[in-house]
Amino acid sequence: MFDDTRDFIEALCASGDLHEIEKEVHWDLELGAVSRLTCEKDGPALWFKRIADYRADYTAFVNPMATWRRVAVTFGLPPASSLKEIYAEYEKREGKLIPPLTVETGPCKDVINLGKDFDIYDLPAPMLHDGDGGRYLGTWDIAVSRDPETNWVNWGMYRFMVYDSRHLTGFPRPTSHLGKVFQDYYLAKNKPMPIALVIGADPISHFTASATYHIGGEEAALAGGLRGAPVELVRCETNDLLVPANSEIIVECEVLPNCVGLEGPYGEYPGYRTGEMGNGILCRVTAVTHRKNPILTIDATGYRDDSSTITALTGAIAIKRRLERHGLPVLDVNVPREGAVHMAVIGVKYGGKQVAKEILETLTSRRALLSKILLVDPDVDVYDLGQVFHAFSTKCHPAHGIHVVHYEGRANTLTPCYSQGERALQKGATALYDCTWPGEWSREWEVPVKATFETIFPRSVQQKVLAEWKSYGFKD
Amino acid sequence: MASKTEKQVWETFVRRPGDLKEGEEVPMVLRDLTSGKKKYQMRHVVAVVSRKPEDMASMDQLQVRTVVGILLPETWGVKIVRELPIELPGRPYHDFYDALRKAAVSGS
Repeated sequence: MFDDTRDFIEALCASGDLHEIEKEVHWDLELGAVSRLTCEKDGPALWFKRIADYRADYTAFVNPMATWRRVAVTFGLPPASSLKEIYAEYEKREGKLIPPLTVETGPCKDVINLGKDFDIYDLPAPMLHDGDGGRYLGTWDIAVSRDPETNWVNWGMYRFMVYDSRHLTGFPRPTSHLGKVFQDYYLAKNKPMPIALVIGADPISHFTASATYHIGGEEAALAGGLRGAPVELVRCETNDLLVPANSEIIVECEVLPNCVGLEGPYGEYPGYRTGEMGNGILCRVTAVTHRKNPILTIDATGYRDDSSTITALTGAIAIKRRLERHGLPVLDVNVPREGAVHMAVIGVKYGGKQVAKEILETLTSRRALLSKILLVDPDVDVYDLGQVFHAFSTKCHPAHGIHVVHYEGRANTLTPCYSQGERALQKGATALYDCTWPGEWSREWEVPVKATFETIFPRSVQQKVLAEWKSYGFKD
Repeated sequence: MASKTEKQVWETFVRRPGDLKEGEEVPMVLRDLTSGKKKYQMRHVVAVVSRKPEDMASMDQLQVRTVVGILLPETWGVKIVRELPIELPGRPYHDFYDALRKAAVSGS
């Protein structure tokens, strides 16, 4: 397993999944445009070695896990592993937790800037898209925070924008774990909330920060379990939070409970810039520490960015676990990459109206990040979008097969189809498309017979045809 | 900063058409488009804006973007009247523009 970003870069280089750019590239849109196009071409991760206006030893590593190949490398799997194999590997490892180890110091303390020693503009935060609200320093990050009442430490991957030399604005959604602790405790007591923005930790730690994980669950222990070894943590300089010791850059901040700044708009993981602007949080930076030759890690967000793989994967397994806990007949869940974490395909042992409604209720009761759910029978491989589309097109009744739940105060405000008014109220809806046969239909008399090789021929005929296949003149 | 012969260029974001009102002092967020490491640095100000050519000649230049980040084709003139604090009093997760308006009224 990888101990830091540098190990991971080496592994990607060895597997052919890294491209190093020696030519000077400008942080103002050029880096973002190159990275975006590479992402859309399913290209390699990028390591920009020379950034205009910045020191030659400050570099940027972009789109760490935006392809399934790179996710496979992260988990030590063969790069060509199938989606099903990657899902299975994560599912196998995620139940094991290994608590982190606290160490005295680490490479992230190579350079310590306190007080007046630092200027956020010394870090080459890019302007990723034309028309964004600002330069985003936090895209591939880990925001570390703690609930003082329970001591629960949360790691989350949230966006943070450079505001001036000593301030950032951010948008951990109000319904996010950080947002919840901030509002429930710090805002209520009018106290600043210490957080640490970790940039360039080991890849699994970032993976867990972006994971859909339950309240009270510690991502640091999840990362240890997934890695098979504890994450080493070191104490911050200006607060008591612990951060991965091998990280490239640590920005220590306090979220101000009584101040605001403009945050956004920003081209986000849904693949759009939705106009979510001016409803975030303002942070005062208290220290910046970093390694020698720090590497800024960046997710060039947009269509098919890093979220489309890792948030989708962990979201799918979290959905599966949640449905299992509620006793629902779930088999497999896929959050397809192209659905930008807005759609889930849920395979069930059996469906029908009651199951559909219970699944919809279960998945929208606290926060509702999904706006579309496709429910499919066991004969549909949830990872095969061709099969899923076939089931949706043919089995979802246009009048009776669509169930909708409406909600306010917990919608995903980044969902592009919502109006500005709906965003302001966090108002939205989730539709479940029931692509399963009604439970009351008789299999002998009413359920249509699927006209595929595997389902519409006797087993004996199938076996004969397969045995004789090459004799018909086919090569494969 | 721009040289004395060049106009300083700023950019702002507005929520809806008509948010910029000519001839009166309006609170706004400006970002500095001067090239270099600190490009896009933010400021909170009270300013006067104008689209009249005779006013614009003596004002800084202002570009305006919409809530989804689209740059509007019209350029404005802007003159900063006074600064507002960068740590602008307001309630997190609530409308930043309301906080700007309140700060301008209270004279923060």
